[in-house]
Amino acid sequence: MKVAGEAVLHAPVERVWTALRDPAVLVATIPGCERLVTTGPDSYDMTVTAGVASIKGSYTGTVSLAELPEPNTFLMKASGAGGPGTVSADVTVTLVEEGDATRLRYDADAVVGGVIGGVGQRMLAGVAKKLAGEFFAAVDEVLTGARSMAPAPIGEAGTAGMPTVYRDAGPGRLAARTGEPVSFILGAVFGAATALAGVLVGVRVARGGRRLDDA
Amino acid sequence: MGEPVRRVEDRRLLTGNGRYLDDLGADAVEVAVLRSPHAHAKILDIDVTGALEVEGLLAIYTYDDLTGPLADPLPLLIPHPALTHGRTQYPLARDEVNYVGEAVAFVVAENRYLAEDAAERIVVSYEVLPPVVGITAARAAEQLVHPDVPGNVAAHLVQEVGDAAAAIAAAPHRLELDLTVERSASTPLEGRGVLARWDADAQRLRIWTSTQTSTGVRAAVAVKLGLDLGSVEVITPDVGGGFGVKIVHPWPEEVLVPMAARALGRPVKWTEDRREHFISSAHERGQQQHVEVGFDDDGRLLGLSVRFWHDHGAYIPYGLIVPIITSTQLLGPYKPGAYRVEFESLYTNTVIVTPYRGAGRPQGVYAMERTMDAIAGYLGLDRAEVRERNFIQPEEMPYDHGLIFQDGRPLVYDSGDFPASLAKLKKLVGWDDWPAYQAAARAEGRRVGIGLACYVEGTGVGPYEGGHVQVETTGKVKVATGLTSQGQGHQTAFAQIVADELGVPMSDIEVVTGDTRRFPYAVGTFASRAAVMSGSAIALAARAARAKILKVAADALEAEPGDLEIVEGRVRVKGSPGAEISLGTVAVLSNPLRYAFDEASKAATQFVVGHPDQPPVGEDDEPGIEGRDYYSPVGSTFANGMHAVIVETDPDTAEIKILRYCVVHDCGTLINPMIVEGQVHGGVAQGVGGALYERMAYDESGQLQNASFMDFLMPYVSEVPASIEIDHLETPSPLNPLGIKGAGEAGVIPSAAVFAAAISDAEGFAITSMPISPSELFELRAAHAVPGQQEGDRS
Repeated sequence: MKVAGEAVLHAPVERVWTALRDPAVLVATIPGCERLVTTGPDSYDMTVTAGVASIKGSYTGTVSLAELPEPNTFLMKASGAGGPGTVSADVTVTLVEEGDATRLRYDADAVVGGVIGGVGQRMLAGVAKKLAGEFFAAVDEVLTGARSMAPAPIGEAGTAGMPTVYRDAGPGRLAARTGEPVSFILGAVFGAATALAGVLVGVRVARGGRRLDDA
Repeated sequence: MGEPVRRVEDRRLLTGNGRYLDDLGADAVEVAVLRSPHAHAKILDIDVTGALEVEGLLAIYTYDDLTGPLADPLPLLIPHPALTHGRTQYPLARDEVNYVGEAVAFVVAENRYLAEDAAERIVVSYEVLPPVVGITAARAAEQLVHPDVPGNVAAHLVQEVGDAAAAIAAAPHRLELDLTVERSASTPLEGRGVLARWDADAQRLRIWTSTQTSTGVRAAVAVKLGLDLGSVEVITPDVGGGFGVKIVHPWPEEVLVPMAARALGRPVKWTEDRREHFISSAHERGQQQHVEVGFDDDGRLLGLSVRFWHDHGAYIPYGLIVPIITSTQLLGPYKPGAYRVEFESLYTNTVIVTPYRGAGRPQGVYAMERTMDAIAGYLGLDRAEVRERNFIQPEEMPYDHGLIFQDGRPLVYDSGDFPASLAKLKKLVGWDDWPAYQAAARAEGRRVGIGLACYVEGTGVGPYEGGHVQVETTGKVKVATGLTSQGQGHQTAFAQIVADELGVPMSDIEVVTGDTRRFPYAVGTFASRAAVMSGSAIALAARAARAKILKVAADALEAEPGDLEIVEGRVRVKGSPGAEISLGTVAVLSNPLRYAFDEASKAATQFVVGHPDQPPVGEDDEPGIEGRDYYSPVGSTFANGMHAVIVETDPDTAEIKILRYCVVHDCGTLINPMIVEGQVHGGVAQGVGGALYERMAYDESGQLQNASFMDFLMPYVSEVPASIEIDHLETPSPLNPLGIKGAGEAGVIPSAAVFAAAISDAEGFAITSMPISPSELFELRAAHAVPGQQEGDRS
């Protein structure tokens, strides 16, 4: 399944790139992300719980980012698995300067397996795009200072030889404000990752009628 | 056989204990189908974003989600060499819609309410194209339904016996008639519906569907979903009416519901609502006809040439069955002289047309009977007499018309005595007293008219049906046949057959239909074929079971099988009171056992029965008392009948009132006269609707304006004749073991013809377009009220 879209972020390309590589920002802005563990430069393990009607379960996934030769272009690879199925996606993201702002384009190619794969392409794509929009809006709020970032990391942060763990910090944070565990990977990084997570997140969004109106 | 036994299924059905499709699957998630609001349009985009916020939404499918065979058009069920431009729809519209109601998106949610909520939030962008609505527009072909189908013509078929044009040209008298019949529809009270469960552990699919062919659905779903036939089971629960529409398969929902059940791992159910049935199931009847006839001074046909144009809607999944039936069954009980028939089957941007009770015969009979009346009117002869002079005589049976019938086989009538039937009808309705009655009524200022119409109906078409009869050790008899039931009383009629063959009480017989687990080989319930086909097969299967019973019993009673009889579930030696054995014991003895499971079964264990020097089950034998057999006739068997109606039309309002309705019916041997009469009553009621009330009111943009029971006039009991007078003639069919002919559709076939005739007789001018409403009759009166108009033209 292919999903493409774009968003405008109100910060220069460099700041956007930095923000998107900041796990503290990611854990706060990715819908459904409960836990983000750095496993290396620009690579993470994630945990998400989906509380979906017919697709309940805990999902784990990995996300990695790599720059591509083209300027301001990088590739996000994400994969996740849980009870209802599997998702993997390659997302190409391009950042283009637009005055003081940045236009972000994403092209995702996702493979969805298991029951999730059975909900219909348009629905998956629709959810992915919708959540991508919400994710970028949340990132944009961070970039413009409309949203304050709680200090992170927490937990095992700083312990020598241990990975750094980021958790969604609860009230005041995007995901937690919804009052429910949120779904998966989508966000994994950019809204682009939405393509994949879109599936899981989407189902629960559909179920809960949740709206991130402020995002 | 032959007894008016009360229907055994009625107590259950009438006390609300029927189990229809929507009564099943309480745990299933449900479906709403988003349908095209346009008759003809390109789909530019489908945006589901708005639907995603609906709580409980589970899945949305569009054409892009269909893979493999599912992405292909649905089957063209009955191919024909003349069907050169056959088109069928995709389960979900791909890039174009061709009728209002075509399925575009398939929405699954926790329940129907939520699915509907989500469906209405899906935004589909269309580029609307000019639609083709009605036969006149289809013939004009200024617009095309399918760009690659020139002239909107799917098929052009000609059949000719002799040189009709020459015969007509040489005839002493000639007439031409232009006739039209509008659309109506089966309109069963229960619409369609499908429930599917996917067993992921066993990788098996179980489907319940409100269909007229469970085996047809099974085969189609297996192919569409890439499953082995053995992995698919189809069960037909109680069905609240079919009347033809449910013989079409697979409907889009019949493949999509199982697809969703497999994809989501949840049972999925879809139940059609009334509007959906009107706009997305099937209609029938719509035709334009042109008749040319040549005849002699006595009204005998010398040549008959009929052209007609058949509206089959946007697609043609059921092939040419309806127009082929019109073109052949038009001949009725008559010898047409040289006969030529030509039809075009045309695409329009409207709902598909597939067989509806009568299946093309009402239109054909209408053409022929209007012609008979026109000849009588032209020559000033009695309408019954003109008919009688053209009858095929009983001694001419079997009568070969030299045409090919809907089953691909020669049109050969097997039985019937048309003069005898007409004599019965004339007596029943008091035909010879009519002129005096009418004159007296006219003297009082009343307008009354009598109509007469005859038909012949090919019933019991092949290829085959089968039956299975098993006697259990309790003595109870389990009967199964593969075709389905929609209220015909099969549980009663088939049990009567078995009761006669096996000598067991009706109460000990259970009949199962339409369950592929019980009988996997079958065709379906259509063409008035269930009693003929499955009835015969079950009789043959029961006879096989009976032979086995007598063999086992003869051994046990130390008698010859020929000396035995079965009475009330016991096998006895004729003339030897006390020498008897119950059927249950026979069943026990028929199955040699190692292990006893109760007192009775001890009788079949290894130290009790059998000969030490013989195998317990003989080489050509099987354990148990079972019979399985099939019935597959060379051709159809032809039932026939004649109807007469007396109507009175209001001189001011043109309201049409039925004074009497008389039926003479010949369906061969009667299994249950009460059921046959019930079928006739139902058919007449449906015929009254088709003749006087029902039509499909499409506007010029292809919107069906009366797609509800508020606007579509179905006859209530208040519109159906209070008394339908019926007489039977039994000319047994030589083609099957019971001598039976079908009866399911008969009552509806001559309705348009007989009402048109009666109203013409009452009004003095010819009715050429049916159905007819009081308003239309009022307008016709005005149009005919010109100087020089004469009364007395009864044609």
